[in-house]
Order: sequence, then structure tokens, then C-alpha cells
Amino acid sequence: MTADRTTEVEQLGAVKAISRGVKAAPEFAVGIGRTVAYAMVGAVGRVTVPILIQQAIDRGFKKDKIDVGLIGVIALIGVAVVIITSVAQRAAVARLGYRSEDALYSLRVRLFEHIHRLSLAEHVDERRGALVSRVTSDIETLSDFFRWGSVAWLLDGTLMILVAGVMLAYNWVLALVAFVVAAPLIWVLRKVQGRLVRAYDTSRSENAAMLGAVSELITGSATFRAYDATVEMSRRVRGSAKRRADAQIKAGVIGAFLFPSGAVFSAITIGGVVSVGVALGPSSGLTAGALIGFIFLTYRFLEPIAEFTEILDQTQAAVAGFRRILAVLDIPAGPPDAIAPIRLPSEPLGVHVRHVDFAYRPRPGAEDVGEMALRDVDIDIAPGERIAIVGATGSGKSTLALLIARLADPTGGEVFLGNVDLRRVANAELRRRLMMVPQEPFLFDDTIEANLAFAQPGVSQEGIEQAFEELGLSDWLAALPTGLATEVGERGTQLSAGERQLVALARAYLARPDVLLLDEATSSVDPLTETRFARAMDRLSEGRTTIAIAHRLSTAARAERIIVMDHGSKVEDGSHAELLAAEGTYAGLFEAWLAATGSAINGDAPTGGTVGA
Amino acid sequence: MSTGEQSVSAPAGRGTYRRGASLIAHHVRLHPAAFATAVTGAALFAVCTVASTIVVQRVTDNVILPRFDQGHVRTGAVVGGALAIIVIGVIGAVGVVVRRSFAGITTQRVGQTMSGQIIAKLQRQPLSWYQQEQTGDLVARAGVDVEAAINILGPLPFASSTVLLIVLSSIRLLSTDLILGGAAVMLFPLIVILNTVYQHRVERFYDDAQHHLGRLSTAVYESFDGVMVVKAFGAEGRETERLASIAGSLRASRMQAVSLRATFETLLDALPTLANIGLLVLGALRIRQGALTIGDMTSFIFMFTLLVLPLRLIGFALSELPHSLAGYDRVRSVLDDTELPDPAHSIVVLEPAGGVRLSDVHFGFEDDRDVLSSVDLIAPAGKTLALVGTTGSGKTTLLELIAGLMPAASGTVGREPGRCCLVFQEPFLLATTLRDNLTLGATFDPAALSMALAASEANEFISELPDGIDTVVGERGVSLSGGQRQRIALARALIRQPSVLLLDDTTSALDPGTEGKILYNLKRDFSTTTTIVVASRPSTIALADEVAFIESGRIVSQGTHEYLLATIAAYADLVAAYDDDRALLSEAPTDEPVAARAP
Repeated sequence: MTADRTTEVEQLGAVKAISRGVKAAPEFAVGIGRTVAYAMVGAVGRVTVPILIQQAIDRGFKKDKIDVGLIGVIALIGVAVVIITSVAQRAAVARLGYRSEDALYSLRVRLFEHIHRLSLAEHVDERRGALVSRVTSDIETLSDFFRWGSVAWLLDGTLMILVAGVMLAYNWVLALVAFVVAAPLIWVLRKVQGRLVRAYDTSRSENAAMLGAVSELITGSATFRAYDATVEMSRRVRGSAKRRADAQIKAGVIGAFLFPSGAVFSAITIGGVVSVGVALGPSSGLTAGALIGFIFLTYRFLEPIAEFTEILDQTQAAVAGFRRILAVLDIPAGPPDAIAPIRLPSEPLGVHVRHVDFAYRPRPGAEDVGEMALRDVDIDIAPGERIAIVGATGSGKSTLALLIARLADPTGGEVFLGNVDLRRVANAELRRRLMMVPQEPFLFDDTIEANLAFAQPGVSQEGIEQAFEELGLSDWLAALPTGLATEVGERGTQLSAGERQLVALARAYLARPDVLLLDEATSSVDPLTETRFARAMDRLSEGRTTIAIAHRLSTAARAERIIVMDHGSKVEDGSHAELLAAEGTYAGLFEAWLAATGSAINGDAPTGGTVGA
Repeated sequence: MSTGEQSVSAPAGRGTYRRGASLIAHHVRLHPAAFATAVTGAALFAVCTVASTIVVQRVTDNVILPRFDQGHVRTGAVVGGALAIIVIGVIGAVGVVVRRSFAGITTQRVGQTMSGQIIAKLQRQPLSWYQQEQTGDLVARAGVDVEAAINILGPLPFASSTVLLIVLSSIRLLSTDLILGGAAVMLFPLIVILNTVYQHRVERFYDDAQHHLGRLSTAVYESFDGVMVVKAFGAEGRETERLASIAGSLRASRMQAVSLRATFETLLDALPTLANIGLLVLGALRIRQGALTIGDMTSFIFMFTLLVLPLRLIGFALSELPHSLAGYDRVRSVLDDTELPDPAHSIVVLEPAGGVRLSDVHFGFEDDRDVLSSVDLIAPAGKTLALVGTTGSGKTTLLELIAGLMPAASGTVGREPGRCCLVFQEPFLLATTLRDNLTLGATFDPAALSMALAASEANEFISELPDGIDTVVGERGVSLSGGQRQRIALARALIRQPSVLLLDDTTSALDPGTEGKILYNLKRDFSTTTTIVVASRPSTIALADEVAFIESGRIVSQGTHEYLLATIAAYADLVAAYDDDRALLSEAPTDEPVAARAP
């Protein structure tokens, strides 16, 4: 993923990444001061025992007499303190949890909103998995962190500060001894921490690599079997599984050394504190109780170290998750909605493309600047006119459609709809008046009825049936055993490609747009569906300004006017007959096509084994 | 994924523990030495922990109190005490390092072994087995399910050290003072029970959250997948709301878990503290009765402080058990699945240059009608046979049978010796270099490679890629167009110099010009190759020597294109439909108002 999109955010330091993340979801910071204050009070509960031991030994246990009553009083005070501090600690943990969940929720919603608004160039198939990960697994790594890691940082952090304070209050000399002896631990931690983080990184990427390899082994199973490559491919996946295990073991061993480092240092520190404490003796003002209390305090002071080493990985993962999320939020959204929108005229709308240039945003990290997809394109389409745009792959015809539908804004020039600059049309109105039917019509995993209702929420069943009727598709609908209640399956795959197009046409029809933008499908469809489609298409385009991105020359030939695109420029504009007569690009395309298909039709297919040479 | 959620919420009954024990036994048997080392390290830690509490008692009674009460203490006792604390601490830490390292080694090696078993199983199963399984599900078996199955191993050595720790400290507590020790020992189960209750109750919310998360992932994927439609209908707001409502359910489950957790975490922190205060009071009484020293009491409290974490974590260790069992069950279901016979073995090898012969071949899916029935087909050696038929007529299945990927229910499939390569309609590319995609790990003569690329008309676009043939494709690399992918897939077949080449509408994404060139190259460079091509374009049909027309799983007729056109009405209709475009266009120049044809 990092290779996919390395932006500035990806290199942000941990602290900066977190602070920007908090800005993106301000709920994180709401009442954080009070939460920390509660945690501080809560931490008092966890130093109660060392203090009580000190009090009991110094005041309750006199040489010959043991004042059980006094110890009882001390104990009661202790119980009261524990109860109060527990309430505070519960409040701190709960507050942190609630705020985090609120923040993660709003971060998720912001991402949904933003990703939906991203231009289609960001929504290419290869990036879909990554975008989905941003709102699922990346937010989940944050969620894991806020459920465990952050609680540990809060409670253990406040505890360490408080314990240090109590130690200093008891005996600053002894406290300093403890700090000095324990200090090298910081060096050890810093030294090993870097290695541990790298080891975790490696193990994560090896894990992802193994899952990817397994997934390929399965999705490619037909290919590998057809090419006798199963043995080799399995060997590779096993290699990947070994590398993953090795990486995880390495991270585990480094972690294993780091984990008890706190305990080792607390043993050394306790040894040091006892020695120094005994050497100082009562003359320094130190008491037996305080020295014994110190043993407990030292242990408490270094106890969180083990947990820190455990949550380090989680913390690192959370920071990385933040970075990736911020990188997505940093991608500029698609065309912004008009600020002071101009209403479109109510009469039928024409389309005017004026001196339009377009270049796709270069991929971050890509060396070459994005090539111009469109250069100085001028097109005029009268209201109600039916035109076709043709051209080879990469000629810019699909890009042109994106600009007319305002799924992207031109980098130069303007597009007018009903003589209004598209950038001044409110998005909601634009979507009502202009409808784009994409090449591969997407259907939701739901019923046909629900898919149609997507065009017009709240539409009645009769309304939907009527739409099918008016498009001449009611016979198709009637042939379905469950009619409108038919489940179309994931991406509509329960229907054939042609049937999906029929549903998509009906869906577009329900929206009753003025301008229809059709990106024709290239895949072959069975003849019966083809006929239905053509009929429905004709009814749908009746009285509407229709722009078809044509992949078949027959569609082009049916249009009133044809616009021919080549390498990002408009090269021809005219009727089928005019363009053929002009003997230009269109005529060339047509001839090549005739030549490629001719032999089968004329019945002169070669009967010999070889052709030519 | 969904199966996982269901089995996870199953309560841990007695059967669970019995099955758990056999699961653990299975795992340990795979790598016993590493596991034994981990347990030894754990035992070392337990012994050192108890020893450290004894040292605390000695240091309190023999060093600290004499120094502060009587004013003096032997230097030897001080040095000895301090050294004992340090040495025991270090040895205990060594135990922890050994335990954690070897627990990790055991877990990962067991995982590797199990993944290896699954991979080996996947390797042995034929394609027909895969068609009954879902990709995501199978990936989960080798990934998350194995991980869940082995997760029980990691905490086991730790749990064993906790058990030893409880035993040793109970002995020490009870042998020092029966009354105080007894009171303390009673708290051990209390903490474990409290923790288990918490685990059990919070599990429900986590399961709910997991369920909502699954829903969210599906919905998000669909919504982003259909972003074009969402945008076309201006439904961005509606979609965000829909997703937000699922995210809201997720948040609600998590909030409930947060509340429960805050309460129990606090209780689990407060309980040992309160117990320690109790020990202090009771200890004072016992000291007054002369049954105990201050050092004893101090060491009891210290022991309790040290035991809190292990007691809490043992609950976590056990909570993994149902997950592990569920994961292991899913792993086993793949491993124990019957291995289907390899259909390639039932292919009859014909004489050299014998082409392809099918006689009376049937094929059907279990609960469905026959996909192919009584298929007799002869593809003459070195010739090109086009398979023509409507969608769903059985063309692809027929090719899969010939390639030996799917088993015929009855009848014989015969093929001339040599390699048979099927090029799929949807080419599969690995997320690696183009070179690797072509070789699939095998070695080839560079000349064969360049010849294959030239014949597939792939050289031009490959030379424009940043690293040529070593360019990485896929999610982390360059994305190829459908036509480019098809050409790579074709080249992959051609470098293998197949004696039989099966093309499943492999040129559908290419423009007619390129397609024509490729078919011409094939004729020229692979003139001895027997080729069967699924065709849906007149141009492809045109280049075939013969055509077999297939309808509803039956070969209706086989012969030259003209012969079929003349004799089979359904064939003529289908070709006419394919030709529809051309028919319209050829009239166009003379019939000017073409648009009039479209009302």
C-alpha cells in the first residue's frame, strides 16, 4: 500500500500524525483534560498499598506494642480511598472509551463522505480494496489501539508520574537512587524498540504477502492446473508461509527480550534502593516503613514497562493507520458543488463543450506528468439531438463523457448544460437532469425493485412496473419467476450481462432525465436481449438529448450525428454518410472493421490450414 | 467469516475443554521440543517469583528492620540480600525470555506446519473441488483460521507457569501461616472467576461488534464498487447515511463493551488492593499473636502484588480456547475433505498428430441439468476448430474437459500427446512481474519467449512499460487493460509450445485489427498446433477450418462455416445476430437516412 501511494502524510512523524488525526476527528480531544484528571485520581488507588504499608509499619508496629486499632483506622481510610479512586478510574476508562468510539465513528463517516466524493479516477478497481481498508481495517487498528493501548498509556502513564512523585516525597535521595539505577532502561528500550518496530513491520508485511500468495493460489487454481504450475506455486506459497513464521518468530524473540527488561531493572533498582536505604539508616530521616514501601513503589514504577513493550506494536500500527487515513482525506474531492448555483432552464437542454482540455492527475510517485487526455475539444449538441462519439481506446471519448456528466472538471475550458456552466449547476439538479448509464451497469445485491428504487426513493411498485412497460420490457420482467422481487446477486451477477443492462436502463428511465449519457457495453450479449435492449434504448432516448459513447459502429450509424475522437482531439463531426464520404478517420475505422469481419459473412472463409505467408 | 462468528459465541462447556485438550495435544506433538523448552522457562519464572517473595521477607526481617530498630546490621547480610534480589530477578527474567521466545517458536512453527498442510491439500485438489468453495473462505482457512487455531498455544506456557505459581505460593502461604495464608489463597479463585465472568459477558458485545463489522465491510465494498451509480444518481448523501447507520450499530456494541470493561477492569484492579488492605489488618493481628513476622506479612502482600497480573491473564488464555477450536475445526474440514481424483488422469492419449477426440461425453453439475450431453467432437490435428453457441451452451465446460480440468461424467476425452494449454476468457495474472506471469516459475528458452510475445502482439505495449517484461503488475504495480491481459495470457500458453491450444474467447477485449493479426500469427507460427477456439465474432469464425455448433450442451453439427450456414437455421440466426452490426453498416452508404432506422 505504501508503494501504491506515498504522499507527504505517509512520512509524518508519529506525534504530528496523531495530532492531525485528532484534528480530523475532534471528538478525540473532547474533555481530555478531565479524563486525565480522573485517571490521576484513579492512579492514587494503585499506590495506596505501598503508602498503607509504610504507615502501618512506621506507626502501627512499635517495638513491643502493635496498635491494631490504629492499623484498622489506616486500613479503613485505605478502603475509602480505594473506593473513591476506583470510581474515578472507571470514569476515566469509560470516558476515554466513549470519546474514542465517537471519534472513530465520525472519522468513518467523514471517510465515507469523502471517498464517495472522490473523482472516479481514484475509484479504479485496483484501488478499491485499499479504499475499503481505510474505512474498515485501518479504522479497526485505531479501534484496537483505543481499546487497549490508549487505556494502558493513560493509566500506566499517570501511575508512573504519581509513583515518582510519592517516591520523591518519601525520600528524595532514595528516589534519585532509584531513578539513576533505572535510567539505563530508557536507553535499552530506545535501542531495542526501533528493532522491534521494524521486526513487527516485516512480520506484518510478510503476513500480508502470505495471505496474498494463498489467495492467488486459489483464484489462479484453474490457470495453475491448466499450465502444470501447481507444484511450483505451492512451493512459493510454502516459502511465503515460512518467511512469515520466521518474521513473527524474530519479532517475538526481540519482544521476549524487551518484555522482562522492566522486571530486571526493578530487581536491580530494589537491590540498590535497599542497599542505599540501609546505609543511610534512620539518622537520614528514613523510616523502615518508607524503605519497605519503596520496594513496592519501585516495583509499581517499572511494572508498566512490560505492558508498554506489548502495546508498542499496537501504537505503531495505529499511527500507521492514522497516516493512511489522512492520506485519503488529503486527496482532493471530485468536482465541488456549486456555491451560488444557477437554475437550469426548464426546457430541453443542449450541451456545449468549449475549448476543453483534460489531464488526469499523475499518480504520486509517477515520474511522467499525466498526458493530456483531451485537447481543445469543441462540441455543440442541440436539445433533443442524438449523437454518438466514436474513437479507438484511449482516444478520449470516455473522458469526454466524464466531463459532460461532471464526474470530473476540465483542466481547461468549459462545459455548458442548457447554456449554464456545469460548475454553476447544483449537483442535485444536475443529477436529476442528466443521467449517465455506465458501460458495466452496477447493481446492488438486492431485488430488482430495490435497485430501481435507488433512482427514485419511495417509488411505488406500480411505478416501477410501468417503467418496464413503457420501455417494452414487461415481457422480460414477466418471464422472471419472482418478478420484481428477483434477487440480482452480488454486482447483479444472477442476471446475465444483457439483463443487467436492461435493469440499468429502466433505472435510468425512472429518473426521467433530460440528457442521457450512455457508455455502450462492449461485451457480447445474446441476440434476444440485444433486441430488447435496442427497443428499450430507443424508447428511453425518445425526446431526450442523447450522447452515446459508441463501441459498435452500428450504434454510431444509427445516431443523427457522429463525433470522432482521436488522441484526445475531435477530428471529425458529421452524419454517417458525410463522414464516409469524407474518407477520414471514421471511414478508415469502418473499412478496417469491414475487412476484419467480411470473410465470414461473404462465406469465403479459408478452408486451408494456413492463411497467407 | 460468518461461520467463525457463530462458533465463537458457543459457550465453553465441558466438551470444549476435552476437545481443547486434544487440540493442544495435537499442536504440541508437532513441535514438542520447543514447547517443552517454553514450559521449562515458565517454570523457572514461577520458582523465581516465589523465591523473590522469600527474599523480601528475609530482607525485611533480617536487614531493614534490624537496621532501623537496632541501628546496625551486618554488611554481609545487606550485600547478600541485595544480590539475592538482583540474581533472582535476572534468573526469572531469563525464564521469561526463554518462555516467550519458545512459545512464539512453537506457535509459529505449528502454524507454518498447518498452513503447509492446507497448501498441500489445495495443491492436490482438482479444479472441480474449487468450484464448490469460495475464494475468501479458503484464504481464511490458511490465514485467520490457522491463526485462531494456534492462538491457544502462545499463552499456554504462561498459563502453566501461573498454575505452578499458584501451587507454590499457596504452599508457601499455608506453610507460613494457615489462617492468613488460607484467607489469601481463597482470593485466587475469586479473581479468576471474576475475570472469567467478565470475559464471558463482554464476548457477546464483541461478537455483536464483529457481526456489524462484517456487515459494514460488505456494504462499504458494494457502495465503493458502485460509486459510478451512486454519483450518477447524486446519491452520495443517501449512501453515506446508509453506511453511517451500520457504523452506528457497530459503535453501539462497542460502547456497551466499553462500559462493561471499565467496570470490570476497575473491579479487577480494586479487588487485589482491597485484599492487600485486608491482609495488612489480619497480618497485624497475627503478628501481635506472635504467629508471624513483619517480613512474612510484607512478603505476602508482595506476593499478591506479583500474582495479580498472572491471575488476570490466565482468564484471557482460556478465553482463546473456543476461538481456537472453531478455527481448528475449519482447518480440519479442509484437511479431512475427500481428495477428488485428478481429471487429467482420465484423458486418453491418442497417437501423435491425433488431434482431439471426444466420444459420448456427458457432464452435469450435481443438482442441475446436464451441461453437456452425448458430445462427440473431432478436432483434426493442426487445424483450427471454432466452437460457436449462445451464452450458457456449454462451450467453456467443453474446453475445461479437454484441458483435463474437469472430469467427464461418462464418455472418453482423447488428446494427442504433448502439452495442452487452455487460455481463459478472464485471464488470471499474479501480482508479480510479467516475466513470472509468463513462466509461472518454469524455465524457458528466451527465443521461445520472444516468439510467443511476438505472436501474441504483446511486444509493443510491453516495451512501453517502465521495466519492460520485468514490470510488476497488479495492485502494487502497473494495471493492464483487458486486451493487454488477454495477450499476456495467450503468450503464457504459446511459450509452452502446446500441441493442443484451447482459446476461450480469448480475444474478446481486443480490437478487430489486433485480433486478426494474432489469429494470423497463430496460423503462421503454430501450424502444427491443434486449436479449438470459442468464437463470438465473425472474424474469429472466419479464420477457423471448421466450426462446431453447440446448443444446450449438445453438438448440433460440425462442418465448415458455409455448410453450417446452409444447413442449420439456428446457426445462421446466431451468426446473423453477430453480423447485425455489419448488415446495418453495409447498407448505410447507399441508404442515407440511417438514423431513420432507429425510431
